[in-house]
Amino acid sequence: MAIDGNKILHVVMEGSKIRDEKGIIPIFGVYVNLFFVDYYNHLSFEFMKKLGAEREAEAAMLLVQAAQECAYATFQGIRNSREWEEIVEPMLDVKEDQILGFAAVANALGWGEMKVKALVPEEKLVMHVNGWYEAPGYLQFHDRSNSSKCYGIRGVAGAFMDLVYGETYPDGCFTFWAEEPFCLAKGDDCCEFIARKTPQKNHS
Amino acid sequence: MRHIDWNSELVRDGHGLFLSGLPIAMHCHHYSINLQKTLEDTLGTQGVELLVEAAERAAYAGFRSFLSKYSRIKGVKSRLEFASTLYQNCGLGIIHFQDMESEGGVVMSPSSHHVTGWLAKHGRRQTPGCHFARGWIAGVLAVIYDRPFHYYIVEETDCKMSRQERCIFHVRERA
Repeated sequence: MAIDGNKILHVVMEGSKIRDEKGIIPIFGVYVNLFFVDYYNHLSFEFMKKLGAEREAEAAMLLVQAAQECAYATFQGIRNSREWEEIVEPMLDVKEDQILGFAAVANALGWGEMKVKALVPEEKLVMHVNGWYEAPGYLQFHDRSNSSKCYGIRGVAGAFMDLVYGETYPDGCFTFWAEEPFCLAKGDDCCEFIARKTPQKNHS
Repeated sequence: MRHIDWNSELVRDGHGLFLSGLPIAMHCHHYSINLQKTLEDTLGTQGVELLVEAAERAAYAGFRSFLSKYSRIKGVKSRLEFASTLYQNCGLGIIHFQDMESEGGVVMSPSSHHVTGWLAKHGRRQTPGCHFARGWIAGVLAVIYDRPFHYYIVEETDCKMSRQERCIFHVRERA
């Protein structure tokens, strides 16, 4: 069965309207909030600026790590949720389909359209993402960049592979690590992410 | 959902998600707290200031956008109530403005996304940790009282992340 992204989107949009008595939105096994993307862009790009050009690689790695740990825990919660079991699970035929299910949920969360361009089981994931906010947010206030800017999706791509091909949760985080060879912020036509198995599982 | 037509305010356009015409994303507590911890661990006080400023900036722009669409909400009391409703609708928690004047006042929060998220991931902390809420409060109050951006300072004296009964914020004008 193909993944029905519209059905997943509908569940997320409806679920996002339900708050508990504490003003919190519990959906897909996690607590969700809705907030302006300018907040996240300001945090990321000012963080990079404060660490300076000589620490750019370290700063980028910290932001990717934060996103990957998050996505690893988030999508583990999602795939163990009642909503996943009832709505998404029936759409999955093979193990690899989980990544398509994750991508559909991410799109519903407002993270952009994720297209899987290539998937080599246990080895590599190539995704194109249209509509993620970091690259456009960067270009809003800066000139074209020499480096890629979508730290969040780099972490997400790595986490998708960690969850499907890494060790059993919670021991599989950072089994994979993603780079972004093409990015709108650099003037490329799209943002492309490639997650590959890390030589050694150590990015901390 | 008083005051707010949520179905028309929260909309999709292509692959984007918009609230009151401004782009938003849904993120969960894992991301909110991981970002906070990364900034605090790496930059210390500077990281805390950055968290406050980013929230203040986004809340200021967002709340101005909202109020421009709801011209019937004019009085301070109505605007404060509107802000509390918006905080809750966004899944950020419950917030009560108490004894507020244009010079400052007290804000109380019995529950929040960030408190729930922090306690779930890291347990009790030694110092107040609701930096996002500090910035959010400063941002919306500047709009409510028609003051410029960055007009208020918000400090948190009690915090549920430190296992106190509720989060208490004190607001004053920046000198």
